[in-house]
Amino acid sequence: MRIEEAVGPDGTRYPYVKTDNPPRGGMKHTYFAPDRSYVVQFFNDPADARNPALRSRLEAILTRYNPTVPEAAGGAAGNTERTAAYFAGRFCWPLAMVESPEFGIVCPTYPPQFFFGRDATVTDKLNLEGTDKRSNWFTSSNRKFFRDAELGDFRTMLSVSIRLARAVRRLHAAGLAHSDLSNNNVLIDPVSGDCVIIDIDSLVVPNMYPPEVAGTRGYIAPEVLATLEYERNDPRRQFPRIETDDYSLPVLIYQYLFLRHPLQGPKVRSTVSAEEDEFLEFGPQALFIEDPHDASNRPPDLGVTIDSLGPGLRNLFVRAFSDGLHRPEKRPSASEWEQELEKAWDLLHPCSNPDCPGGWFVLHDPDHPVCPHCGTRIAAPDLMQLRLKKPAGREGQWRHDRMLVLYDGLQLFRWHVFAGELRNERADRTPQARVAHVEGQWLLVNENMTGMISPKGNLVPRGQAIRLEDGALFRISEQERGRLVEVVRG
Amino acid sequence: MASYVRRLPVYLLLDCSGSMLGEPIEAVKQGVKTLLSELRSDPQALETAYLSVITFDSSARQTVPLTELMQFEEPELEAGGATALGEALEVLMDSVNNEVRKTTEEQKGDWKPLVFILTDGSPTDVGTFDQAAPKLKDMKAANIIACGAGSNVETSYLKQITDNVMMMNSVSPGDFSDYFKWVSGSILMSSKSLDSAPGAPIELAPPPTGFVVVP
Repeated sequence: MRIEEAVGPDGTRYPYVKTDNPPRGGMKHTYFAPDRSYVVQFFNDPADARNPALRSRLEAILTRYNPTVPEAAGGAAGNTERTAAYFAGRFCWPLAMVESPEFGIVCPTYPPQFFFGRDATVTDKLNLEGTDKRSNWFTSSNRKFFRDAELGDFRTMLSVSIRLARAVRRLHAAGLAHSDLSNNNVLIDPVSGDCVIIDIDSLVVPNMYPPEVAGTRGYIAPEVLATLEYERNDPRRQFPRIETDDYSLPVLIYQYLFLRHPLQGPKVRSTVSAEEDEFLEFGPQALFIEDPHDASNRPPDLGVTIDSLGPGLRNLFVRAFSDGLHRPEKRPSASEWEQELEKAWDLLHPCSNPDCPGGWFVLHDPDHPVCPHCGTRIAAPDLMQLRLKKPAGREGQWRHDRMLVLYDGLQLFRWHVFAGELRNERADRTPQARVAHVEGQWLLVNENMTGMISPKGNLVPRGQAIRLEDGALFRISEQERGRLVEVVRG
Repeated sequence: MASYVRRLPVYLLLDCSGSMLGEPIEAVKQGVKTLLSELRSDPQALETAYLSVITFDSSARQTVPLTELMQFEEPELEAGGATALGEALEVLMDSVNNEVRKTTEEQKGDWKPLVFILTDGSPTDVGTFDQAAPKLKDMKAANIIACGAGSNVETSYLKQITDNVMMMNSVSPGDFSDYFKWVSGSILMSSKSLDSAPGAPIELAPPPTGFVVVP
């Protein structure tokens, strides 16, 4: 093993294992630290080292735009220890630049859950131990090669989607665009529902010269693909920016939730060549396979559709892939995706069919509690919800805020218990209470709440439970901003 | 739901003439093995790439028909005989005609095939070659990359097949290994890279050190 050292501008040394044929991407080649805790990546093109635009962009990314380092330690403004820790798990953010022996960057190694372990596959022809979990292992026909335990379920894929939307929202809030969100640059762990965004160095930074990337096939926005033939300085040419991320993000979300690409349908645009047909399919003539007005690209055997997610998410998909497919300004923002996905998360219900391919679904219509993955109807005794209310205007007045579909084992967090708390990177993620559905009774167990109160108005100590009965209406916490909740069967 | 993902057909044309006997043919076998395992460990390649092997010695044949990567069985390669590269080109044209799906009004066709030709000599069936090579070049039905191994290769022959010609200067096992790594890198790039406007030249991985692109 030959150890060499990369050296940063401040003299920090980063030892790495020198190999003859390092893994090589479009922009950089990669060497591992001896203990594999970080990687050193050198740019392939020596011209990059002399490019002042790239250098100043990287400097900005490492410091004032860095959401993974607290402000006090030189990271982004307003960043706390907690938010920095949260986003350090969502981004594989560069740690430093190096100047010698070549120009490059140092990045953390992906956390272990993003690598396949032993025996992930059902065939010994495919040994993926140590391979990174790029999204399209799980969203393509490749799924069939994996053991069920590797694939997660609808719930964990919804979790992946929420975390991705939140991470992209954070970038956009700072004015940054990722510019190449794709199945290659988002690693997912369907088992834990986690994701991490990699290849951060091609970020588009406000008021700085943009990177040279165009995107990845299937994820590049139609307007960027359609104008690639023009020169860089041609005003017709469209470049990656926040609105193009607003296309790539829902492509990934759609793939996680439906395991198919939103534009890949049966429609043929050109018989001249596959290349021309593909260019039209993802560029000037792109058409959503679930377009509400044009069924010409709709597969005859589509299966589960966007309607199964409820009106909120359905409308976002229509805006992203129908209204906004060729009109970038109409696309929903990452923040809208984050909020609607979180609402859908609160409506999740387990399917009672043990062989259901999805395992969970969004129970958005209590009058029609049927699993879209397998058609199983949920039995009436298994249906219970909480209507969460928040104060409205004058003292003592309440307004409906959101629904929470209950199931055995569901955990309630601060954003359920208190009005005005958000489930974001700043949130306290300590479970507050837990739902138990035992012997026909619905119970709410206090796990961590001080000041939990029962429907009769008594204080409920930790470890004690209250019974949830249809029609009960009570303040769940006596503390400030504690919500009024209504228990509703069905 | 049916898959609407296009296939990327890949043809390997491998020289199994007598001069490949011994180390070279063993290195080629090893190279095919490595190629297969590298392609299988990439999700995009695994989903889209289909592989076929055409071998040539005193004659030529399709040793493995176009097969998805997980079903692909490595062929038994043996070296001996002459260099019927011309016949191999005919076999290639037949295979492409029969196996590669064309885009029609009803179905999505395959990507333009990638063809990698590896030879250590010059064609011994010059008559057949002189007819087949220009025909293949004119068809423009495939992206062909020819690689000559060692000093016995007349690059002018390869230039009649394709404009993409490179030379491996020695024929050491290390060079064959680098060649197959480069082939897998190029297939991966092709399966990912974005085809800008249709008809743009394909992107290949930069050639390995010691390989020379023939202008």
